[in-house]
Amino acid sequence: MTTMKSCTLGLCGTIALSGLLYGQGIPKPGEYPLGAKASPMMSFFVTSEFIGDGGNLGGLAGADAHCQQLANAAGAGNRTWHAYLSTQARPGQPAVNARDRIGKGPWYNFTGEVIARDLAHLHGDTPELAHQGNNLNKLTGLTDKGQIVPGLYDYADARDNDWEYVRTTRFSNRHEMLTGSQPDGTAFTDNVDHTCNNWTSNKDPEPGTATGGLNANDGRPNAQIGFPDRNGGGNGSWNSSHGTRGCSQKALPMTHGVGMYYCFATN
Amino acid sequence: MKTSAACVAFVSFALVAVALVSAQQRGQPQPGGQAGQTGPVAGRGGRGVPASPARMTFFVTSVGAGKGGDLGGLAGADAHCQALATAAGAGNHTWRAYLSTQARPGQPAVNARDRIGTGPWYNWGWAQRGDPQNAVISQDSGELHGDTLVQAQRGSNLFKQSALTEKGQVVHGIGDPPPIQHEILTGTNWDGRAFTDNADHTCNNWTSSTTGAAQVGHSDRIGNGSSWNSSNATKGCSQPALESTGGAGLFYCFAVN
Repeated sequence: MTTMKSCTLGLCGTIALSGLLYGQGIPKPGEYPLGAKASPMMSFFVTSEFIGDGGNLGGLAGADAHCQQLANAAGAGNRTWHAYLSTQARPGQPAVNARDRIGKGPWYNFTGEVIARDLAHLHGDTPELAHQGNNLNKLTGLTDKGQIVPGLYDYADARDNDWEYVRTTRFSNRHEMLTGSQPDGTAFTDNVDHTCNNWTSNKDPEPGTATGGLNANDGRPNAQIGFPDRNGGGNGSWNSSHGTRGCSQKALPMTHGVGMYYCFATN
Repeated sequence: MKTSAACVAFVSFALVAVALVSAQQRGQPQPGGQAGQTGPVAGRGGRGVPASPARMTFFVTSVGAGKGGDLGGLAGADAHCQALATAAGAGNHTWRAYLSTQARPGQPAVNARDRIGTGPWYNWGWAQRGDPQNAVISQDSGELHGDTLVQAQRGSNLFKQSALTEKGQVVHGIGDPPPIQHEILTGTNWDGRAFTDNADHTCNNWTSSTTGAAQVGHSDRIGNGSSWNSSNATKGCSQPALESTGGAGLFYCFAVN
């Protein structure tokens, strides 16, 4: 607020710059920005590539390794990368909260823009912070390759729900990020699945047991998701909007996901 | 002042130039064009109800009042909502502008959230195309304003492609061709209530097109966070001042019934 209030030239400059950028062509969602390299500041990205086995990411370790691999390819392998994912408590195994895995921030995206100053800003820990929101949005929620994540209304192809099509393109609506988390970034504490069995399951609900739409139900394989573009799902939450139809790779595109998730550098 | 005039001139020039270039470059549906980027489905209403603009209970004004922050007070702003709604075929509802006014001697504050009924509120997409999702802006005032911490963290369903005008247009936001018009007048704090300090947050209760400032939110949820109703203040109350920071004097209209 103070920034905007005090800003005269700065804001004008920003708007003029956005216009100019647009004139030169902000990459269309899914496109790789030509010649652009990740900022050395980069400590946040959306995975540009899916693992491809639905909600089975190989557990947290597998998901972290995928983050690290993508970061390495982007020249950001000097940092330690963790997936923004929670796991639920099991007998003899405590829950893991996504928010406790990602360091303290601040986190910057591919172009060096700040996503959030700290954990409280990222999650909206106070009513004031929650109302204001963090800086994750459609234009800042970039992948490790600098892509805007295709979301609602970008391409709007009916085949966006069909894995056989989605697997052949990077230009389908794929804005659902796996998180397995509640809005405050913690694991769910109820007894139903919100994490595709702690990111090890690629199973779908048994026929006849899939009642409840996108909500998790007892015995129903499910993963909680959020939207980097804040568009959709009835609330636009970046980390906890709704569940999925199942945990198979084919089930994820039915609601416009492909099994992407957020990666944060802890250092 | 000299600086800001020069800045406005430069930005206007830049925006016009960019508009010309980008209009040629982009062949895809534009924000500001008719909604229905997936192709309009004429005559098919949601939940088996015939499509009708009369079902709309929320919109963003397609145009401002034209005099910056001077909307003719709340009465003038409400009349603007009602006129636009009537022209769009939704005049069957009673419409209110989502605007607060600040307390003055002998005149209590008015909270935007107390003016707009109880919801749920439906947008043009639901009224006209029966969009199965993304058309209920919010079920109630608590969800709209994030009254609980979890509600605030999640946010409402008011976002770029659901915050349509009464004509079904998407309001230009960051990343779109200029003019960007995403700064929506509210004069309101995050919780939907009037400010209680002495600073002007309402262009003198929506009567000033010169001095003062107005609090705005962003219809695309981009800008100084992601608030739809309370992100930052404008640089002034004149129409050029509003336009200089990506606004146009647009505001939200809600039907109370």
